[in-house]
Amino acid sequence: MDQITRSDGYTQPPPYVALRIKAIQSLLVEKGLVAQDALDEVVDIYENRIGPKDGAAVIARAWVEPEFKARLLEDGIGTLAELGMTGFEGAHVLFVENTDQVHNVVVCTLCSCYPWAVLGLPPAWYKAPQYRSRVVLEPRKVLAEFGTTVPSEKEIRVWDSTAEIRYIVIPQRPSGTEGLSVDQLAELVNRDSMIGTRFATPYEGAAA
Amino acid sequence: MRLLQANEVYDAIRTPTNFTREETEPPRFTVGQEVVVRNLNPRGHTRLPRYAKGRVGVIERHHGCFVFPDTMAHGKGPHPQHLYNVRFTLTELFGDHDGNAADTVYIDMWESYLDPVTS
Repeated sequence: MDQITRSDGYTQPPPYVALRIKAIQSLLVEKGLVAQDALDEVVDIYENRIGPKDGAAVIARAWVEPEFKARLLEDGIGTLAELGMTGFEGAHVLFVENTDQVHNVVVCTLCSCYPWAVLGLPPAWYKAPQYRSRVVLEPRKVLAEFGTTVPSEKEIRVWDSTAEIRYIVIPQRPSGTEGLSVDQLAELVNRDSMIGTRFATPYEGAAA
Repeated sequence: MRLLQANEVYDAIRTPTNFTREETEPPRFTVGQEVVVRNLNPRGHTRLPRYAKGRVGVIERHHGCFVFPDTMAHGKGPHPQHLYNVRFTLTELFGDHDGNAADTVYIDMWESYLDPVTS
C-alpha cells in the first residue's frame, strides 16, 4: 500500500507500467475490440488453471513409466496433445532429459519464449536481461546462484528458444523415492526444475 | 469483427497455432554437418542471436519447415524455411572463458542463417 497512500495522507498514482496497462485495456474494451469478461477469463486461466502443476504431473509420470518417457522424448507434442496440454505458446514442444552425464537448462535470449501450455506463465527472472544474457555465457555461475551446483564432469546444455520450439527439462528423479505414487512424485517437481535452473526437490522421507 | 467471448477463451488458448509448412524443397543441411552462422544484420525483426554470428556449429536436429518470423513480423508473408537445431560449444561462442569446455548451447536456426563449412 506504500505506493498508493503516502504517510501524509495523499495518494500516489500507481506505477507507470500499471497505468499503461490499464490505459491500453480500457481502450481495447471501450472500442469494442476486447470483451472485459473474456479478458478476465484469460487472467483466470493463467492464474488458476494452467500452470507448473500440469508439467509436474507429466514429469512424475515419465519417472515411473519408461514407455511414457520414451514417447515424450520421441514425440513431445503428440504426447502432450493426448493430455490436452497444447495450445498458445506450446504448439511445438521438445523434452530434454537430465542424466548423470548431462544437465539441461532453458532460456530465450531474444525475449521470453516459454511453454505456457504446459508450465503456465514464466517467472519474472526468466524474462530478465540478466538471466537471458548470462546463462548462455556462464551457465554454471548462474545455476550456482540458484543454489544448483552441477558437477564439473557433467556437461551443461543450454537451450536457446529462438524459434517456435519450446523446451522442457525432465529433471532427474530424486533418490529414495521408489515407493512414492505419481501424485507424491509430482510434488517434488518444482517449476524451476523443468526450466533446468534447479534440481527436483529432494524427498524429505529419504534416508539421509 | 466478431468478439471472442469469455466461454470461447479456454478453447482458443488450447488451440495451437501450427507454424510448420509443407516442405517444397529438400533441406540443405543434414544432421551432423558443420555449419557457420552468417553475419546477418537485418534492419528489423530477426531470430538470429548476435552472439552466434560467425560461429561454427553442428546440425543437431532438423525440425522441419517453419514460417520465417523475419518476414512474417513485417507483414511480408510466411516464406517458410527449413529450421534446424544447431549445437555450439561455449568455447566456440565465447572464446576463452572460465567455464567447462564441454558445455554447449543449442540454438534453433532457419536455413538462411547458415552456410556449410567448406574445408
